[in-house]
Amino acid sequence: MSEVLLSIDGLHVTFSTRRGMVEAVRGVTLSVEKGEMLGLVGESGSGKSVTGFATTRLLDPAGRVTGGKILFRGQDVTKLRGDDLRHLQGAAMSMIFQNPRAALNPIRGIGLQIADAILTHKKISKDAARAEALDLLRAVQIRDPEARMNAYPHELSGGMCQRVMIAIAISCNPALLIADEPTTGLDVTTQKVVMDLLADIAAARGMATILITHDLGLAARYCRRIAVMERGRIVEEASPKTLFSMPQHAYTRRLVAASPTATSRIEDLVTEEEREGVVAVAGRPRTEVAHGTPPLLEVRKLAKRFDKGSAAVADFSMTMTGGESVGLVGESGSGKSTTSRMICRLIDPSEGDIVFDGQSIGHIASRDFHHSPLRKDIQMVFQDPNESLNPRYTAFDCIAHPLMRLGGMRPGDALRKRVDECAERVGLPLDLLPRFPHQLSGGQKARVGIARAIACRPRLLVLDEPTAALDVSVQAVVLQLLDRLRRENDIALLFVSHDLNVVRMLCDRTIVLRNGGIVEQGESRALFDNPKTDYTRKLVEAIPHIDTGPVLAAAL
Amino acid sequence: MLSYILRRVVATLPVMAIVALFVFSLLYIAPGDPAVVIAGDQASPEDVERIRQSLGLDRPFLIQFGSWVWRILHGDLGTSIFTNLPVSTMIGQRLGPTLSLMVITLLLTIVVAVPLGVVAAWKAGSLIDRAIMGFAVFGFSLPVFVVGYVLAYVFALELEWLPVQGYTPLTDGFWPWLQNLILPAIALGCVYIALVARITRAAMLEVLQQDYIRTAKAKGMGQSGILFIHALKNAAVPIVTVIGLGIALLIGGAVVTESVFAIPGLGRLTIDAILRRDYPVIQGIVLLFSFVYVLVNLMIDVIYTLVDPRIRY
Repeated sequence: MSEVLLSIDGLHVTFSTRRGMVEAVRGVTLSVEKGEMLGLVGESGSGKSVTGFATTRLLDPAGRVTGGKILFRGQDVTKLRGDDLRHLQGAAMSMIFQNPRAALNPIRGIGLQIADAILTHKKISKDAARAEALDLLRAVQIRDPEARMNAYPHELSGGMCQRVMIAIAISCNPALLIADEPTTGLDVTTQKVVMDLLADIAAARGMATILITHDLGLAARYCRRIAVMERGRIVEEASPKTLFSMPQHAYTRRLVAASPTATSRIEDLVTEEEREGVVAVAGRPRTEVAHGTPPLLEVRKLAKRFDKGSAAVADFSMTMTGGESVGLVGESGSGKSTTSRMICRLIDPSEGDIVFDGQSIGHIASRDFHHSPLRKDIQMVFQDPNESLNPRYTAFDCIAHPLMRLGGMRPGDALRKRVDECAERVGLPLDLLPRFPHQLSGGQKARVGIARAIACRPRLLVLDEPTAALDVSVQAVVLQLLDRLRRENDIALLFVSHDLNVVRMLCDRTIVLRNGGIVEQGESRALFDNPKTDYTRKLVEAIPHIDTGPVLAAAL
Repeated sequence: MLSYILRRVVATLPVMAIVALFVFSLLYIAPGDPAVVIAGDQASPEDVERIRQSLGLDRPFLIQFGSWVWRILHGDLGTSIFTNLPVSTMIGQRLGPTLSLMVITLLLTIVVAVPLGVVAAWKAGSLIDRAIMGFAVFGFSLPVFVVGYVLAYVFALELEWLPVQGYTPLTDGFWPWLQNLILPAIALGCVYIALVARITRAAMLEVLQQDYIRTAKAKGMGQSGILFIHALKNAAVPIVTVIGLGIALLIGGAVVTESVFAIPGLGRLTIDAILRRDYPVIQGIVLLFSFVYVLVNLMIDVIYTLVDPRIRY
C-alpha cells in the first residue's frame, strides 16, 4: 500500500575526536514511508541527530559513515558526490534545525535566504524567486509577509525564525523533511503553533517527516510511529500507544517514567536503580509554619521599565513563606525572568519594594547587593548549566568561591569539608570535584550549579529554567533533588519555567504571568486543572501529553 | 544614517583635540630648552633669543597652544625652520607619492590577503592552508627594508622588469606611475597581507562553524555561494577592523619604504624633519597622520553598520 521512501540499513557513524574514535551511531536500521511522520526519540548523545545529519549528508567533517547504507528512493545517499549530492540537498530532502535564529544568516534578509534555496535548484529569475519566497512566507503564516521579506532574523521572534526555516525547507517541495528538535527552546504555545503548521504542511504536500526530539510527548502527539534511540542504537520501535502503555525495553521504560505528565508526581519520575547515585540524608519532617509568622519574601507592586517601550513587569506582588515553592510561568517575554532577577537583586526594579525576612532590599542597588549580608540568603540557579559555569573553574572552585566570598571561609580543611558536604548533598561524586566543566555531563554541571547555590545555606533559591537544557532523565533527578532540599533544608524555591508539567509537580503555588502582569495565581494543581483565564488554558492545552493520540491521521 | 555619521564626526573632535595637545607638547617633552634645541650647537645666545621670540616660546604654554590651534584651524600649520616654506605647502608637495603608495598597497592587500585567507579557511588543515599560513609567518617576520632591497635587486637590477627607484606622478600617465609603485607596495604590503590573511582565515573558520552555514549546505548551495554569500560577509567585521588598524602599519612602513625606494613622500619628509629638528614640520606631519588614522577609524565604524544590520546607529 505505501511505498518506502527512505530506508537506513545498519548505519554506523564514527567521529574522530581528540580522545580517539567515538562511535556515535552503531547499526541503526529504520525506514520511512512516503508521507509518514516518524518520531526519532532519545536523549542527548543517543545518536538521533547524527542519524539525521548522516541522512542529509550534513555531518560534521569529523564524522564519517563507517558502515551501512542509507537508501533514498533506492539510491545510496552515502555514496553521492558533488552535483548529485547538491541536487538532493534542499530539493529532494531538506532539514530544519534546533535554535532557528542561529540557523539563519544574521546579516541577510529572510526573503533573500528563502530565494537562495529556490535559486539553487530552479532556473528562474530573481524576481520570480522573490515572488515564490513571498508565497512561502504566506504558506508558513507569517503576518505581513511583504514587510517581513526584508527583515533580518534578529528582528523576528524564535517562532517566526522557525517558520522561516520551514519555508526554506519546503521551498523546493522535498519528499523528505528531517526536523531536528524543531521546537526546543520555543514556548509551549509557540511550539504547538509551529508543530501544527509543520504537520499541516507535511500532510498537504505529502511530505514524509522525521521528527527528531527528546520530548516523548511531542513525538506522541504528532507521530504514528516512534523509534527510541539509546547510545547509537534503536532499542524500540512502536506506535505511541504501545510505547507508553507497554514499553518493552528498559531504557524506554525509564524514559517514559521520567517524562512528566499532567498527573505524575516527583517520586514517580525515577526508577529505583537510578536513585542510588544520590546519597540519602536522613529526612526531617517539614516544620509547619506557625500561623502569623512573617513571610520570608514579600514583593510589593514591583515594576521594571527598560530604556524604551512599555514596562517589562508592572504591578507584581507576591509573598512566600520559608520552605514554600512557588512557580512563575508564562511565555517568553512575559517578564518572568526579569521578575526573578529583580527578586534575586541582580537588576534594579523601577518601582515597588522587595522585603526579605522583614528587611527592605528593593532599594539596595543591585551592584552593591553583594555587600549585603542577605546575599547569602538569596541565591540563584541559572538556566543553562553548560553556559553558566566558568570554564576555567573546577567544580570545587565553583562551589568554594561563594563560601570564600560570602561565607568568609579561607582555603583549608574547613572549606574542603564544606564543599564536600555540598557536593554530597546534591549527589555529586567527590572524585568529580577537581574536574573542569567541559569534563562533566549536563546533569553533573546542573548539580555543580545547585551545590554552588546552596553552599552558603540560602533561605531562598531562585531557579530560572534550571532543567530546560537537560535530558528528561537528568531533569527527573534534579527535580527530586530540589524537592528534597526544600523539604529537608527548608529552602524556599521560586521556580521560573515554561514547562507547566514540571511546575505542577514541584510547586505548591503557581503564578501565571503575561506581558509583565499577573494573569492568575493559586494552588498549582487546582490552577492547572481548572484554569480561570483563557491564557492559562491555552498554556495548559499546548503541553504535549503522552496520552494524546496522533493528530496527523490525514497524512496517510 | 547621516545623523549617525555626523555624531561620529563630532565624537572624533575630542580625540583630535587630545592628539593636537600631544603633538604640540612634543616640543616641550623633548629634553632641554626648545629654543636652544632648535638653534643648534653653534648658535649664540642672541640667536637663541631671536628664535625664542619668533616662535613665541617666551609666552605661557597655554597661550602658545591656543594660538597654535587657532592658526591650524585657519589652515596655517606654521613655517618650516629649515626651509622657511609653509609646512602645509611642504606636506602638499609630498602627499601625492605617499597617498599613491598607501592606496596601491591597500588594494594589493585586499585583493591578495582576503582570498588567501578564505581559501586557507575553506581548506583548513590541508597542504594549501599550511602553505598560506607558512607564507604569512614568513611575510610577518621579514623587515620591510629587507624585502624592499631583495625585490629591487631581483626584479629591478637583475631582471630589469621594473625601475629600481624613484617616483612618477600620476599626471605623467598611469603605467609609469604604477610601475614605480609595484615593488614598494609589495615590500610595504608583506606584513599587512600576512596579518589580514591570518585574520581572514580565523574569522572565516569561526563563521564556517555557525549553524547558518549548515543551513546553507542543507539548501544545497554550492561551495562558492556558501563561502562568499554567507560566510565572508559575516566574517567581515574583524577583517575590516584589521584592515583599518593596519593603516597604522602602513604609515610606519611608508617611512622606511620611501627611503629604500627613494620616493619623495611624507615618509622621507618626516625623517628629514626629525634629523633637522624642524619642529613645525614634525608637528604638521604627526597631526596629519593622526587625522588620517581617526578618519579611517570613522570609516570602519560606518562600514560596520553597512555590513551588519544588527549594529545599531
